[in-house]
Amino acid sequence: MSIKLTTQAYCKMLLHAAKYPHCAVNGLLVAEKQKEKKKDSHSTPILCVDCIPLFHGTLALAPMLEVALTLIDTWCKENKYVIAGYYQANERTKDFRPNQFAEKVGARIAENFSEAAMIMVDSTRFTMGCYEPILTIYDHHENKWKCRDCNADCFEDWCEAQKITSALLEGRSYESLIDFDNHLDDLRNDWTNPEINKSVLHLC
Amino acid sequence: MLRKVAKLLYFDNWNVLIIVFTEMRDKLRKWREDNHRNSEQIVDVGEELINEHASKLGDDIWIIYEQVMIAALDCSRDDLAWTCLQELKRQFPGSQRVKRLAGMRLEALEKYEDASKQYDSILQDDPTNTAARKRKISILKAQGKSAEAIRELNEYLEQFVGDQEAWHELSELYINEHDYGKAAFCLEELMMTNPHNHLYCEQYAEVKYTQGGLENLELSRKYFAQALKLNNRNMRALFGLYMSASHIAACPKVNATVKKANVKYAAWATNQINRAYQLAGRGTKENKCSVKAVEEMLESMQITMS
Repeated sequence: MSIKLTTQAYCKMLLHAAKYPHCAVNGLLVAEKQKEKKKDSHSTPILCVDCIPLFHGTLALAPMLEVALTLIDTWCKENKYVIAGYYQANERTKDFRPNQFAEKVGARIAENFSEAAMIMVDSTRFTMGCYEPILTIYDHHENKWKCRDCNADCFEDWCEAQKITSALLEGRSYESLIDFDNHLDDLRNDWTNPEINKSVLHLC
Repeated sequence: MLRKVAKLLYFDNWNVLIIVFTEMRDKLRKWREDNHRNSEQIVDVGEELINEHASKLGDDIWIIYEQVMIAALDCSRDDLAWTCLQELKRQFPGSQRVKRLAGMRLEALEKYEDASKQYDSILQDDPTNTAARKRKISILKAQGKSAEAIRELNEYLEQFVGDQEAWHELSELYINEHDYGKAAFCLEELMMTNPHNHLYCEQYAEVKYTQGGLENLELSRKYFAQALKLNNRNMRALFGLYMSASHIAACPKVNATVKKANVKYAAWATNQINRAYQLAGRGTKENKCSVKAVEEMLESMQITMS
């Protein structure tokens, strides 16, 4: 029932937050679609393989979020992915609790994917060295969001995630990260971030 | 990168070096005029300009010190911010503008009480100093005191009713509190004084859409359309027009005429969106997946409308 993150997913989340340190940012996490639901599927964690950065600045408006969710859902279907989670970093560094908006979006995603997770980024612990995971993961249980501690177990390979994220932050890769807002400003901007994906792969 | 280029050219043509210097200075000016918050880049370019080309800058240097100082605060470069502040203090002793910068530095160090005292001292000498009042409101915002910030900003706007930046800030504060009605009011003020600004129209439409309900959806569609009229390349307005028209058409409460009209608007928007993506996707293999995704998304929504 728990989700795990790949290096690529974690990396892009942090790069998004680093690109707009003075804004709230949010985005989606996608996982590979499971072929069939096995009886003991509860024990296999869901692997979030990628992250789609969505918006920065004023998050709590509906129309563009709906466009993004619908568009990314379509893209997911083509690539055999499913939207598995939502992440948000609040505008104020010290504010790392999920707000009403995050819970709403998380609930919407949970409607389509029961094991959806909501992730909040804790900017107070955000360092260039990335020595510890700075996320708080919330799982959806009986219409409530329950907090789960995030440690190395929440990652496919924490050492790799730590190393590569730190390297990309030092190299200021976040300057070229594209979120959905950037895409709406100029359609040629690609929110799948192929260049950053290549950099991550290259460093693996 | 710029540092390496500048140093290489030291040994080359003196004229080429001047070109690099003017490029850097012009970049800073453009970022100043556009009010860009690209603080890391400003620090990179500005620090080099100040350290290596101060003598060539003339009187420009003071506004550059101010710009670089604020950017340095954003990047936690207190060393650089302090240097800039000292230069400005020396050149403009007793200046309110410099006092405000000193206050901002205290804010960056999270010394909010000291910063507030600094702004209070400015306001004692000059009660109409809008910058100091707005910084005090920013402190409330930084401390998470949204209700107080909103109250203070409302009071401020009663006195300074023409301050557009303040109206916009207030609209954002209201949106974050999910008070969409009041956010819409702020945007209405902005639209009245800036009827040709497509961004205000489009933001107003987004707020109305978020408020929900048939009446608000119809208003939102009208304002998305207005934003498009003012700037036919505003993709948010185009998508917004599509979404609002589709939702209205799919609403069971509307009569057949309204439904037909909105289906038409949505169809027009679909066409325009597809064209925009085709234009953008030309040549790039990766963008083709976006184009396909948009086509499919629009198709799937057509089904729910009928």
